[in-house]
Amino acid sequence: MVLNLKTSSVETREQRLGTIIGWDGTASKLADESAFSRGDCSGCGTKARRVCELEGPFTQGSVCSEQMVECQAGNIRDAVLIQHSPIGCGAGQVIYNSIYRNGLAMRGLPVQNIRFISTNLRERDMVYGGAEKLAEAIRLAVERHQPKAVFIATSCASGIIGDDIESVARTAESEFGIPIIPLHCEGFKSKHWSTGFDATQHGILRQIVRRNPEKRQDDLINVINLWGTDVFSPMLGELGLRVNYVVDMATVEELAQMSEARATVSFCYTLGTYLATALEQEFGVEQIKAPQPYGFAGTDAWLRELARVTGRGAQAEDYIAREHARVKPLLDELRPKLKGLKGYVATGSAYSHGLIGVLREIGVEVDGSLVFHHDPVYDSEDPRQDSLGHLIENYGDVRHFTVGNRQQYQFYNLLQRVKPDFIIIRHNGLAPLAARLGIPAIPLGDEHHALGYQGMVNLGESILAALQHRKFHKDIAKRVSLPYKQSWLAQKDPFALARAAS
Amino acid sequence: MAILALKSRPTEITPDADKSGAIELVRYVCAIGAMQTAAAIPRVVPITHCGPGCADKQYVNLTFYNGFQGSGYGGGPVVPSTNASQREVIFGGADRLRELIESSQLVLDADLFVVLTGCIPDLVGDDVGSVVRDFQKRGVPIVYAETGGFRGNNFTGHEAVTHAIIEQYLGPWDGVRERGTVNLWSLLPYQNTFWRGDLEEIKRLLEGIGLNVNVLFGPDSEGLSEWRNIPRAQFNLVLSPWLGLSTAELLARRYEQPYLHIPVVPIGARESGAFLRKVASFAGISVDVVEAFIAKEEKRYYNYIDGFTDFYSEYWWGLPARFAVIGDSAYNLALTKFLVTQLGLIPAKQIVTEDPPVEHREAIQAEFRAIDDDVSVDVEFVEDSYTIHQALRNADFGHKPPIIFGTTWERDLVKEMKGSLIEVGFPASYEVVLSRSYVGYRGALSLLERIYTTVVSHSA
Ligand code: SF4
Repeated sequence: MVLNLKTSSVETREQRLGTIIGWDGTASKLADESAFSRGDCSGCGTKARRVCELEGPFTQGSVCSEQMVECQAGNIRDAVLIQHSPIGCGAGQVIYNSIYRNGLAMRGLPVQNIRFISTNLRERDMVYGGAEKLAEAIRLAVERHQPKAVFIATSCASGIIGDDIESVARTAESEFGIPIIPLHCEGFKSKHWSTGFDATQHGILRQIVRRNPEKRQDDLINVINLWGTDVFSPMLGELGLRVNYVVDMATVEELAQMSEARATVSFCYTLGTYLATALEQEFGVEQIKAPQPYGFAGTDAWLRELARVTGRGAQAEDYIAREHARVKPLLDELRPKLKGLKGYVATGSAYSHGLIGVLREIGVEVDGSLVFHHDPVYDSEDPRQDSLGHLIENYGDVRHFTVGNRQQYQFYNLLQRVKPDFIIIRHNGLAPLAARLGIPAIPLGDEHHALGYQGMVNLGESILAALQHRKFHKDIAKRVSLPYKQSWLAQKDPFALARAAS
Repeated sequence: MAILALKSRPTEITPDADKSGAIELVRYVCAIGAMQTAAAIPRVVPITHCGPGCADKQYVNLTFYNGFQGSGYGGGPVVPSTNASQREVIFGGADRLRELIESSQLVLDADLFVVLTGCIPDLVGDDVGSVVRDFQKRGVPIVYAETGGFRGNNFTGHEAVTHAIIEQYLGPWDGVRERGTVNLWSLLPYQNTFWRGDLEEIKRLLEGIGLNVNVLFGPDSEGLSEWRNIPRAQFNLVLSPWLGLSTAELLARRYEQPYLHIPVVPIGARESGAFLRKVASFAGISVDVVEAFIAKEEKRYYNYIDGFTDFYSEYWWGLPARFAVIGDSAYNLALTKFLVTQLGLIPAKQIVTEDPPVEHREAIQAEFRAIDDDVSVDVEFVEDSYTIHQALRNADFGHKPPIIFGTTWERDLVKEMKGSLIEVGFPASYEVVLSRSYVGYRGALSLLERIYTTVVSHSA
């Protein structure tokens, strides 16, 4: 599959990868149905394989692509994000400011507010169009902040009224002499929010990344991540490599130099698939095609592949051996304390594949997981990146593997089926329900927490801390009333409504 | 893709559309944020007909990163949403909404559903009214409000929801009025970070003078039974500069029910006393009862203020003299009044940020001008945080570090100005708020604790 960077809109995940948001079964069955090494890919043509999807009549509020644009493009340190929308889309400024400020603090960077401007579209603009307001907002962004780039997030409203954002952006770009980058992320255009990652990355690739790099930085590695603590620098430093973190909290220059780097890695293929594949396709910056760096197996393989590509085999082997020796006794201490515990992972798709592996490394039982969507294949289409396949091969099957876009009502039934001692979670809205059932959560705000060798130790310690929280949760569990009907709570099948409808 | 005919606005209270400009760092959300108004009524569940991110955007920011309040029984992640896709945009979403309402009844345990629309159905022209009326005819407790984001903010959305419940759920009424019962319309749930504790305190005050209070929102409300009792109450009390007025006017038209409007939410003894006396005189409550309650409250209040006097008169390291308030008109007015009249602080800059309807601005202005016998304030109406911060930089705070009552957005600025910040409104991402209140007698004491703990922590 060739990524099309010529058009200004990114192709959605469902178009490119056959992404689904409703499925329930064993992990191995999902892997079989997907397009990677295990599936029979004949007949999919150039597009990804379609996995049969469950779709029901009842849905709770999800998350949209525009929010993912906010959380990426909005966290670039010397750029401004304009939200071309009525004020409600701008509500997200609050959460992404909190995340940004915490992220900056974790990285030791100066803490500051995000720079988001809403064009504040009103009824009148729905009739006459909002182009003028957009042009004005761009002018304000430039005057107020002297940014190195301005991003424009579209919205449901701007998409429906058909504002010509491209031409406003082009005009402004020639006036101000900096990249003005429209990101097409109307919420209704894709069923899954991860398309918003791709929309941001698409815009960065088209208008920020240096097209004809004069030099190569042979020791520079692009690391696609969010706002997590800096665990990659020490790790890659062992191999004599430098880290270029993108997209969150990067500067525009750091984004521009991505084309000069030696290779690209990420902590999660859900987030990084589009950017890493496009960097290889357009600029020959190699994408590391290996399992993700979680657990011994994943981290070993990931480091070895990175070392192969960058020609640093000896250093890598030395580092791997030292880390094994350092971490193993720590894990030996942790394992008995974690023995007999059952965990449940509810996170983004590829990230969950990694976390389940880590849990099994430290001796925690996992027989259920909820992922918020599933990509049957990533953009590279390279089976070495088959994160679900890697999980199953190295750590065995997962009995109750569920795909659902954060539907709290199903989460109740999912937890009843598995009865975990704790859950690991990213994204809001599910941990509070688990808490009311007496189950503590480990919310992973720092996405690097469980990564690499040290990540196994970190996660083990977090589990022990979370288990103490059970006192709180058991207490509250006795006193809450849930907003769901008894008949629904008694339902064994989380997808009963979908199955009845089909 | 062309747009279809726009429908008329849900309420008359609409900001002047033509003067609205860009907003950097928001201080309110869109009309569909009023899903949390519905969720603030016990056992009421909103149903949102909108894009996949709309409900999440509103609730996460209003209820989580604003004091970490929690989103309520039927709010937040519980809220059903059509998660409208390309299909609903092109072919219309009425069928999808019907399917969602149908299935919501199978899953959710609610006393009333409130359907709220977002930009998509309001732009493509879905006939949401007719979908909902079909369910109403079948006896399903359900109402709808048109709250597309471009129509207004969560303040106007709030009024759209209260209107919807009154007009579509409450029947006609011609019984006898219950003397001594009052419906309270005051702070905007969830937008106001402290609304739960505040409503509890206001209710306590009113009960103290013998009233029976339909508080309508929050943990102290009885839920829908209270709402059904609205027409019976002797009167409506609108305790805010403007929010709730249009609801009281609707009730006056519909049930010939009188209302009392008190713009200043009381903080501290002076205002609380004045407030109670006004209410009592309107409700026909005997002076003795009111004065006895006030005396009792003041005894406790001034006992603590007496202790505070040692600190206030003798703290060696200087206390701020001038202050600014950046926030919604209700809290802005209430705080300014208290800080000027109780503490003798000097107002340096007051900015009202919720975009009050133009027709109410003159009255709000007048309240600020008459803040005290010897102090008059010129209030400004600004929503864009960059402009607000420039105004604060240019304000005259004298030679002492200022104290600013504002939001998380003022964090960096206050550091730059070497002042103190008390987060008192949306967004308050550095406050964890459970039952804390800043109003009435008790709230005023918590407020003093908060202010001066912040100030003395400067050297910590
Ligand atoms: S402004 Fe419109 S699209 Fe944005 S959140 Fe509000 S209703 Fe949804």
